Formats: sequence, structure tokens, C-alpha cells
Amino acid sequence: MPSSASSSRQNHAEQLIARLNSVETPPESKLQDLRNMKNQIIGSRTKKLDYLSLGAVPCIVSILSIVVASMHSGGGGDELLELIAIQAAAIIGSFACRLESGVEAVLEAGACAFLMILITHQNEKVVDAVARSLKWIYQSKLAPKFYFLEEKNMEFLLSLLNSKNENVSCLGANIITRSCQTRMEQQALSGAGVITKLASLLDGSLSQREASLESLSVVMKKNPEIITKFLGYQNGGAVNFLTELIKDKHPRTRLLACACLIVIRNSCTTYLQDSRIKTGLVQTLLELLEDPDQVGDDAPFVLSSLIADKEDLQMIAFECQVIEKLCNYLEAGPFQAKRLQGIFLALADMCSELECCRDRAFSLEALIYIKDALKHDSADVRTAACIFLRNLSRSVKNMSAGHFTNANITSPMVQLLCDSCPSVQIAALGAICNMVIDFTARESIFMQGGLKQLVQLSKSMVSAIRVNAIWALRNLAFLVNNRCKEEILLELTMPTLTSLICDPETSVQEQALALVRNLVDGPSDSVKYVFDEAGLLLDAIGKKLHSTVKIEVLIQGMYVLSNIASGNEIEKEAAMNQLFPQCWNNTQTSFIKFLQSTDSRLRIAAVWALVNLTFPNSPGACRRVIKLLNAGIISQLKTMVNDPCLDVKTKNDKREMCLNLSTQTTTK
Amino acid sequence: MPVRVVETSSPSQVSGTTPGNNTPPPCTLLSVGQGFSGTQNVSSLQKDEAWRVNVQIQGIDHDHGYLCGTMEALNVPMADTPVVTFWEGEIVDTKNYTFFTGKWGATTEDDIKHWTKFQSFSPLLSKVEVDGGKTLDLSNYPFIFMRWKEQYFVNVGTDCGLTIAGFYYVCFSCSDGSINGFYYDPNSSPFQKLELKSTNDGRSGFSFSTYELQ
Repeated sequence: MPSSASSSRQNHAEQLIARLNSVETPPESKLQDLRNMKNQIIGSRTKKLDYLSLGAVPCIVSILSIVVASMHSGGGGDELLELIAIQAAAIIGSFACRLESGVEAVLEAGACAFLMILITHQNEKVVDAVARSLKWIYQSKLAPKFYFLEEKNMEFLLSLLNSKNENVSCLGANIITRSCQTRMEQQALSGAGVITKLASLLDGSLSQREASLESLSVVMKKNPEIITKFLGYQNGGAVNFLTELIKDKHPRTRLLACACLIVIRNSCTTYLQDSRIKTGLVQTLLELLEDPDQVGDDAPFVLSSLIADKEDLQMIAFECQVIEKLCNYLEAGPFQAKRLQGIFLALADMCSELECCRDRAFSLEALIYIKDALKHDSADVRTAACIFLRNLSRSVKNMSAGHFTNANITSPMVQLLCDSCPSVQIAALGAICNMVIDFTARESIFMQGGLKQLVQLSKSMVSAIRVNAIWALRNLAFLVNNRCKEEILLELTMPTLTSLICDPETSVQEQALALVRNLVDGPSDSVKYVFDEAGLLLDAIGKKLHSTVKIEVLIQGMYVLSNIASGNEIEKEAAMNQLFPQCWNNTQTSFIKFLQSTDSRLRIAAVWALVNLTFPNSPGACRRVIKLLNAGIISQLKTMVNDPCLDVKTKNDKREMCLNLSTQTTTK
Repeated sequence: MPVRVVETSSPSQVSGTTPGNNTPPPCTLLSVGQGFSGTQNVSSLQKDEAWRVNVQIQGIDHDHGYLCGTMEALNVPMADTPVVTFWEGEIVDTKNYTFFTGKWGATTEDDIKHWTKFQSFSPLLSKVEVDGGKTLDLSNYPFIFMRWKEQYFVNVGTDCGLTIAGFYYVCFSCSDGSINGFYYDPNSSPFQKLELKSTNDGRSGFSFSTYELQ
């Protein structure tokens, strides 16, 4: 009965594996079968996946184990066995070549241990094949960790680096790249002379140079001491050579040289200050974006590492028209997810600090690209688009102009609040935190769609989601009208708000108190929103103020009570009772501590609270002044005329009103 | 509101300014959400006129010497409704911006003429005349000097019969939150005065709102 071509291939593969597994198959036949398998899988992802699914890898590893056993028993020199080892190693390497499932299978079958032994084989061809195979494994993020801190391992690593075999020395560098993660490991490698060795490999073959560049970046990362060592190598010749490499004809060399220079600059800001080098880096990376392969995918990430958190480099990049070029790439798309993610992250970094960059991105209609990316299949792309949108929305000018209230953007953003991936949710929340701010005192568009979700997320078990959700609610409540405040409270409810003030995370407490601060700001009747039937919310605020040590929580709590104290007489008394509750003897002391805080923001908040409590013409002002006098607050206030903070000091006239009132009160 | 077509310009940076912490410190009365109200004198030779004005601060970035907000002019004769504009400001902090404007058609002579209209400026004059005040230490000075430039109309079209041009020289008092300003536009009457006081929404005290950008 005729069978399909695929099932025929499958049969053939199964038979091949069966023969390799069989002890009765003669070695010569096994060698032939290995060659067949190798020739089939090299360059064919489909064939690799087929053989993986049939259990080819354990079969090959088993063959390797036989070769190793023979080596140990003095069987070296068996030519047939050596040829088998070469083929087996090549097959393992092919499975591990840019195929994650292949690397997983290879590692699970224990191939690494055998390969690490075979790399010391007397036959150079075996060594070469094994080295190539291990190189592929160590180019994967799944590669096993190599423990440099064990002396024998360090000696082994040095022997690899010192090998005359190009593939073996590259393997040494790849192992460092994949496994060096801690400062201690960096120091151990440096102490063993690895930096000098890697620097010398820069002058080697193309693959040695590239392996060395990657490796140097990892060993030098955030380590000024090791960087200094490298910079001193050949009296600065190594770093000069590195600078020249950004003009090399090979794209990957250029990319890795850029990455290495950026590591140096990020860790030692006194180096590489020359603006020509900075401009050269930007221009090289821009050009590398055009590479169709992995170099083009990686280039925007390297660009991000150059400009992130650095205004001077963002300005240089701005002048090199990076934003235009990145937006043009988006226009020219579509791209693979990784490249798209990189471009959005680079744009996000460009727009993180400078208004001119955000303006330029707006003028190039960046929001259109973001809108499409918010619905991308890849969570990484959706996250990157949200981060770009968050940074764009730092532009108060454009927010004020209503550029973020378009339903084309707000609707997908609200949907992302329910994304299955938490990192997307958090990134979406970050952008929405900014976008909800509506300066027009009209109803924010997010009141209709997003309020429910934000309230839901404020109850999340994930603290990062909870704090960002309540942060968004805080910003949503900024300068809104009373109707919106009522809607927020109706959805959130007082008990939930009260519990958020007592949340285990202080960052949540801070945002919750800031939300209350906004709810009681605005028209004078807004203060009512803090008063629930049982007074639980106000009590929670007062208790938090007197129990927390976290300065940001104290500041927000103080402003809540200060804002309440700017209300009517009943509200002033309520604030007074929370600031100086009768039942606690030490609350007077704690208020003085607020006035004496080393943080001027808390001092000024406390001063405002006092100003509001003793505001002229309020009926109970005198009574409150007496209470403040008895608590020693007035005396403390008198000393603040020389406060180092100008904001505190310049409230002289208001403080004077308070002091005058106290003088009048005490003389009556 | 004065006469020319709106221009957008990004704030210019100053090179070679004195580093260190000599910049005006933050002031709660000049923070986001704070409102001010008062008048702008728009008198000309033909007639005396003043518009009521409300200002709201929407953003402030001390690191970059930047602030922004809206200005609402009421009882504007050629408008049916109050006219709202969005403005961006430069804080004279000697780090990002000095007393010399360097743009918007204002010469250093214009700058000195306008700054000297503020009484609080006189102790600073001699140093400002030398180099725009680059070496001044304003960290303890109880006044903050700024320039405000309107950028666009918020609630009316550009065909409203009004156009915006020029900019304000502004002085803010840290102690009481009052704002004084003088409008500069070569095509308008000189020294139109802006006088504002901090508002408190009818409250018996001062209230402060907050937002924080991510």
C-alpha cells in the first residue's frame, strides 16, 4: 500500500535511530547513519524538529558517552571511534544551532558533560567539532552556568582561551559571555588574567574578535575597576582599536564594538566624552538598523542602552534625527516582533526626558504606530508600545491639547488593562497613569471606560498592579469636578479606600492618600468626600499619620488633613482632632517631629496644616491656637523663621498671622 | 491678548551656565493645580481697559526650568466666551535660563527695561547687566522670575479675531503667591501689566492637589 512521503520520511528516520541505538549495528554502519542524519538536519529546521520528536538526541548522546568511556579506558587513537565522535558532535551542534527546543533536548540528555571531556581529546578534528558544538550551546540563553569561582574550572577556561584552535578559544569567550553574572565572577576572571587574553583576541580572526567583544562587555559591565584595566591595556591601544571597530566592514563586529563602548561609557562616565565618538555610535547604530538579520534586530536595543537616562545622548541622537529614522522604519514595516519591540523601546528612551523629542514624535504621528502595536500578537511588542506611550504622555503640553483622549488610543489601552500578560497590564497602567490627567476639568474619557477596571486592579494580589492602579486613580482625581469624584467613590467605595490606606505596601498607602488629597481639594464642598458615616476613613488617615515612618506617606497624609483644615469650622475641627487626638499623649510630640523633619516637604505640609487650622476669621481659630500653644507647637513655629527651606521660611506672613493670633489669645 | 500669529518655539538652552545648586527652590504656591486670578491691563492710547484673568499651573519641571499652564481672559470684547490659551514658561534659574531672553524679538535692553519694573529685581540688577545673572545664587531669593509664552488657543479658533504673540516677564512672590508681569510685544502697547493673586476656591485656607507622572 503506498504511503505518504512524510510518513515514509518518518519511517526512515525511525529506522535510522533504531539502528544507531542497536548494539548489533556495526560501527561502520553507525558512522554512515550519523553522516546521513547530519546531512539531513543541517540547515533544515523541519528535519531537526522531526528527529527531535523521535528522540534522536538521547541516542546521539549515548554514542558520545561510549566514545568518552573509550577515551577513559585508553581507547584513544581508534580512528573509527574518532570519526563517529566528530559526526555525533556535529549533530549535537546542529540541533543546538538557533533552535531552543534543540538546546533543551541536548541539555536534558546530558550532552554538555561529555562534550566538555571530549574537548581535551588528542585528535584536533574531534576537538574542533566538539568546540563548534559547544559554541552553539553557549550561544543560547539556556546554556548551563559555568562556575568560574572553582579553581579547576578557571584553569579549564584559561586553557580554552589560550588554545590555538579558533573554535576552542571562541568557546572560552562564549562561556564567559553566558555565565559571568556577578561582580565576584567578574573580579575572579579579571584576577585570572582573562581581560588581557580577551583583549588579545580582538586582534584575532573575525569569530575570535566578535566572541571577545561580547565577552568583554559582560566582564566589564558596571565595573569601573576592570574597565580601567582594559583601558590601560597596551597603553590605551585596546580602546582605540575598539573605537575603530565601530567602522569595521562586518555589521556584527560594528554592533558588538558599539555595545562594548557603551558598557565602558555607562560605567565610567569620564571616559569617551568626545562628542564625535558619541555621534559616531548613534550613527553606526542607526545604520545597523537596516541590517535584515539579527544585527538589525539587536541594534535598537543597543541604541537604548546608549541613550537610556542620558539627556546629553538623547540630544545628540535627536540632532542625528533618530526619531525620524525610527518612525520611518515603523512606516516601512511590518517587522518581526523582536525588532518592533526594540524600535518602540528605543523611541521610548528617546522621549523619556526631552520635550523636543516628544514634540518631534507627535509631529511624525507616532500615535498611529502605537495604536497598531497595542493589538500586536506579541506581549513584548504591546508592552514596548505602552512604554513608548507612557513616555510620550509626559508631555503636559500635548496632554493639555487633548492628544491622548482619542478613542483610537484610549479604547485599546483600556482593553490592555485586562491583558493576559501581567507585564502588559503594568505597562498599560503606567501609560494610563499619565493619560487620565485631564486639565480641562471636564470628564476624563477614562471615567466612562477605564474606571471600573482601574478599581478592580486596585484590589489585585500583585502589588505592582495594585500600586499602579491606585496611582492612576489618584491622577484621574486631579482637578476633576464633584460629579466625577462621586463616581470614583461610588465605584471604589469608602471601605476599599480605607483598606488601601492601610495596605501592606507603603507605595500603595502613599497613592491612596494622594487620591484622598485630590478628592478633598477643589471647591469648598469637596471636603465632604472624606467623611463617611462611621468616620472610618478619617480615622485611618489620622492613625496612619501617627504610625508610619515612610516620609512619602507622611507628606500625603499631612496634605489630606491640611486640605480638610482649609474647609469650614466642622472640617477644621475634624482635621484638628486627627492631628492632635485627645487619647494619645505622644501626638503633640509627633507633630513637632513633623515640623522638625529633615525633609522640607513634610515641614511645609505641616506648616500649611497649621496655617489652615488658624486661618483668620474662622470662629474656632482661637480655641485651636490655645491647643497648639499647649502642645508647644507655637514655640516650634517661632524657631522656623530661620528654616533652611525657603518655602517654609517665606510663609512668614502666614506664620505671623498665626503667632499674632496666639499672642492675642494668650493676652485675653 | 495681543496681536500676532501664534508661534511655537521650544525653550532655548543656555550653554556654559554656572553649575551647582543656585537655582530657585520649589514653592508650594507655584505648583501644579494652583490657581491665580487678577487682571491684565490692556490699555492703549485710545482707551483704558483691563481684562480679568485666571491662570492655572498645569506642569512644572524644576530640573529643566520649565513650567506650563493655561491663562483664561474674561470680558474680552471681541470674544463671546472667555478665551483660554496654553502657555509655557521658562524659570530664570541661571542653570537653564538667565535673565536674558535671547529670542522672541527681545533684546538685552528690553530685558533689563522689563525686569527693572519689578522692585524685587533691583538687588540683582548689577550682576544681571554683566552676564544675564549667570553667576547669581537664587536659591534663597524669595522671588521667582519667569518668562511665559502663550502657545495656542485652547477653546477658540485662530479665526476668533484674536491672535497671540509676545510673552510675559513674570515675577512670583514665594511668600504670598502673588504674581506680577509685564507683557512684551513690539506690536502692542508697552508694559501691559499682569497682576494676579493666589486663589483658594472660596476656602478658609489653602488646598493643594497633586498628580505624579510616570
